[in-house]
Amino acid sequence: MTTDTSVASGRGAAPRPPRRPEGDDSVGLVDPTRRYRFSNLDAKFSPYLFVAPFFVLFTVVGLFPLLYTAYISLFDWEIGLDGEFVGLANYVELLGDPQFWNAMVNTFSIFLMSSVPQIIVAVLIAALLNTALRARTLWRMGVLLPYVASLVALTLIFGDLFGVQYGMINDWLEAVGLDRINWQAERWWSHVAIATMVDWRWTGYNALIVLAAMQAIPRDVYEAAVVDGAGTMRRFFSVTLPMLRPTIIFVVITSTIGGLQIFTEPLLFEPAGGNANGGASNQFQTVMLYMYQAGFGRYELGYASAVAWVLFVVIIAIAGINFMLTRRIASSGED
Amino acid sequence: MSEKRPGFAVYGPLIAFIIASAFPFYWAFLVGSHDDQHFKAEQPWLPGGNFLVNAKDVLDKVEFWKALGNSLIVSGTVTVSVVVLSSLAGFAFAKLRFKGRGPLLVFVVATLAVPTQLGIIPLYMAMAEFGWAGELGAVIVPNLITAFGVFWMRQFIADAVPDELVEAARMDGCSLLSTYWHVCLPAVRPAAAMLGIFTFMTSWNDFLWPLIALNAENPTIQVALEKLKSGYYVNNSLVLAGTTMATIPVLIVFLVLGRQIVAGIMQGAVKG
Amino acid sequence: MRNRRAGLGSLLACTAVLAAVTTACGSDSGTSADGKIELTIATFNQFGYEELLKEYEAAHPNIKVSERKTGQAADHHKNLFTKMAAGSGLSDVEGVEEGYLSQVMTRAGQFNNLKEIGPNVDGRWLDWKTKSVTAKGGELIGYGTDIGPLAMCYRKDLLEAGGIPTDEAGIAATFATWDSYFAAGKQYAEKTGKAWFDSAAQIFNPMHNQAELGYFDKDDKLVIDSNGDKAIWGKVTAAVAQGQSAKLKAWTPEWETGFRESAFATKTCPAWLLGNIEKNSGPEHKGKWVVTGSFPDGGGNWGGSFLTVPKQSKHPKEAAELAAWLTAPEQQIKAFKAKNTFPSQLEALDNPELTESTNEYFGQQVGKLYAEQAKKVDVAQYKGPKDGQIQDDIVGPALLSVEQGTNADEAWKKVVEDAQKATK
Repeated sequence: MTTDTSVASGRGAAPRPPRRPEGDDSVGLVDPTRRYRFSNLDAKFSPYLFVAPFFVLFTVVGLFPLLYTAYISLFDWEIGLDGEFVGLANYVELLGDPQFWNAMVNTFSIFLMSSVPQIIVAVLIAALLNTALRARTLWRMGVLLPYVASLVALTLIFGDLFGVQYGMINDWLEAVGLDRINWQAERWWSHVAIATMVDWRWTGYNALIVLAAMQAIPRDVYEAAVVDGAGTMRRFFSVTLPMLRPTIIFVVITSTIGGLQIFTEPLLFEPAGGNANGGASNQFQTVMLYMYQAGFGRYELGYASAVAWVLFVVIIAIAGINFMLTRRIASSGED
Repeated sequence: MSEKRPGFAVYGPLIAFIIASAFPFYWAFLVGSHDDQHFKAEQPWLPGGNFLVNAKDVLDKVEFWKALGNSLIVSGTVTVSVVVLSSLAGFAFAKLRFKGRGPLLVFVVATLAVPTQLGIIPLYMAMAEFGWAGELGAVIVPNLITAFGVFWMRQFIADAVPDELVEAARMDGCSLLSTYWHVCLPAVRPAAAMLGIFTFMTSWNDFLWPLIALNAENPTIQVALEKLKSGYYVNNSLVLAGTTMATIPVLIVFLVLGRQIVAGIMQGAVKG
Repeated sequence: MRNRRAGLGSLLACTAVLAAVTTACGSDSGTSADGKIELTIATFNQFGYEELLKEYEAAHPNIKVSERKTGQAADHHKNLFTKMAAGSGLSDVEGVEEGYLSQVMTRAGQFNNLKEIGPNVDGRWLDWKTKSVTAKGGELIGYGTDIGPLAMCYRKDLLEAGGIPTDEAGIAATFATWDSYFAAGKQYAEKTGKAWFDSAAQIFNPMHNQAELGYFDKDDKLVIDSNGDKAIWGKVTAAVAQGQSAKLKAWTPEWETGFRESAFATKTCPAWLLGNIEKNSGPEHKGKWVVTGSFPDGGGNWGGSFLTVPKQSKHPKEAAELAAWLTAPEQQIKAFKAKNTFPSQLEALDNPELTESTNEYFGQQVGKLYAEQAKKVDVAQYKGPKDGQIQDDIVGPALLSVEQGTNADEAWKKVVEDAQKATK
């Protein structure tokens, strides 16, 4: 790859006139040779300047914590006590730790249970929002409300909903003649409840992301489809979905990462709060909860750091696989 | 849109979705507008008349205005910065060619996968080293740009900004920065507004890091409100009245930026 | 229209940046511009120090104190341990709650020995309170603030419905020992079909704490399989099997509702819990709850806090002086009056302001009752390095799992295994 002045080639719509604020007509009044030189330097270095803030900031506030946890993970180190260098012993212990694998299984179970329906529903909601609604701001912002809701309120509400003895859902189940469910005790049901919480909180958020991408699809593509006689459904599947590829990739990757780091919802689900045990027999303890318990419950920072790093590697691997799959499935042969 | 107005098949599911989404806000207000004891005994479904009493109690117990101001400063700064810097980096990753572009982007996305919970200890050490511990800067600086923002803007810009447009601006002699400013930014307004909303909300609701990073005189709103939970018995009416009060600024930001999103979309529709 | 909004936005951004810059000019030397010594004190829940700190500043013109208050103990201690790990940022005086004390004592080296740097305050506290915060080498790590002496609370109307005598002699007999307590519970559960206590963990913990030997011996060797815990486990889980437990985990919304629903008839009852009983049960149950000093097999303590001075403090001497002053009997009586924190100082326990205090909801002279309960405690059970973890992450959840249907013997086996794993 060379650093020439051309922009990356890629798919794009028919050219649109550049939008400029009124009154800006500062075009090409400089000496052309100087301009050329400037433009050359500009093309060479500006891209690096543009991405620099992220990397500078990451180096300052992100890299040190990352290296620090990597370093700490090689020690048998508890907060406030002297640590002893143990090499990879924490990792070896972790891989033989049944509670860790239990947490891994829980994480994947809750992740799959929540993310698959979530993405499907998000795309559908986005499609509904992409119609000519009245008061569209209200609708669009409305679906994002769960993202703003305070965790204090949610703890109380979900506690009331999923309570075993006095919970609303169990009361309803009983009212229609079904058995009450012990949401806390039974592993499968606890995962269902947590996945419900996750979906409630994040579906609208993802719907809005997808919606933004839908709106970026140029009108003329649709118009061409209409001219070709494609119906609403047809247009959705053969125009909208393929055009959403970068966004679907984005949603899949961020939800994979977010889903495997799932933390807040199972913590909220623990009825007495603050306890990262994930149920009496760790039946809904996720990897993040386990890491948190090791770090801030037992203060074993070395071990917790090892958990963090193993989880990091797993997430990268799964996100990578998801990226390949999504790219292949939604492929339109470019990039 | 040139099609007919949508009917019940569209509004029905959306109404159900919105009711479920808005319920916690209603519920928080419901609890916050009753006397705690009364709410527990009756579990009413209509708001009571106690909200102002609870609100006054909140104002007496925590330094609400100061904390609100701090939160506005923190979330406002972080939001503006994240939107500008992320879209700038996203523009470079999506539309410009430079050595190492691919690997650098992968690196950015990979940093998303770092579990952050344990990071607060070394981060605090770093902030103490810089002399920012206890100051608002400790909460602002680490969030000035996010990997999420860069990735999000990159994905959006890749599609929403036609290459030909960038090319044309370059032909006209625009520098890359002014190309970004005059061509890229206007085209990505909806996405930028959305990123703004996400960023503002995340920053506004952040609790653990501000609790640790700030000193007693300088709390953000979430840290201040946590004090309402003192005592062995927690008065939920008080806590949720405070929560409701702290949500109002968020909803305002919500509507303002929401209009930006819609305005941007309409503009695209007219011109496209 | 659009332009104006953009202008407003950028203005907001500019002021925000400016404000952020101007506020970032504090000093961390611990001495303010006018030469005053600045002390910070970090508390949680409610210590009732607001007025006291003003009083202290008035009496010590060269000292300025700012209090960092956190609502919940868990958040406070997360902050404490994070800054202990980071090596900076702790307040000059840090509150520590009993539940986190074993973790703090394991890290005694991070705190000042108050015997060395503080004023002479020997004999101020109940003996067991001081012992629990004295390290192996004799260092005093914290000054006691409040305590949670245990009594038993019961619903008079429910006991009567269960055929359990509620006259003085009857209550004394019912709550004489844990055996008599569980026997009465069995009868109650059989007769009414309702639960006797709220949850197994709330019974197991006080029983465990009454024993001389806790999870660890003095050499920090895990003794969970050889101390009396297995017998206690057997008794508690047998009671669960008889339907004596309401299976309501403490501090959950369901547990709170349980009070109002009369889901259980008795509750182990530290002094600070009275407020919870009142608020959770509601006015309709006023006059039905009674608190009695007949606690099975003697007394006990549950909760309470300490003030420590971390080595990170830049003014340890002044900090210790402040902490000593705050934990003096006179001040703790004032804190008791302000926020109902039950004092741990011998002199305060005899103060009429305390002993004559009554609780309207219970209609009893609770101050006197709890002061006597506090004096009944005789052991300060030694808490080993992982005590808190075994209690919260292993034993508590295991008891809950038994209530959720796990076999009691298997659950015990797992407790022992997990405890061994945690301490190896």
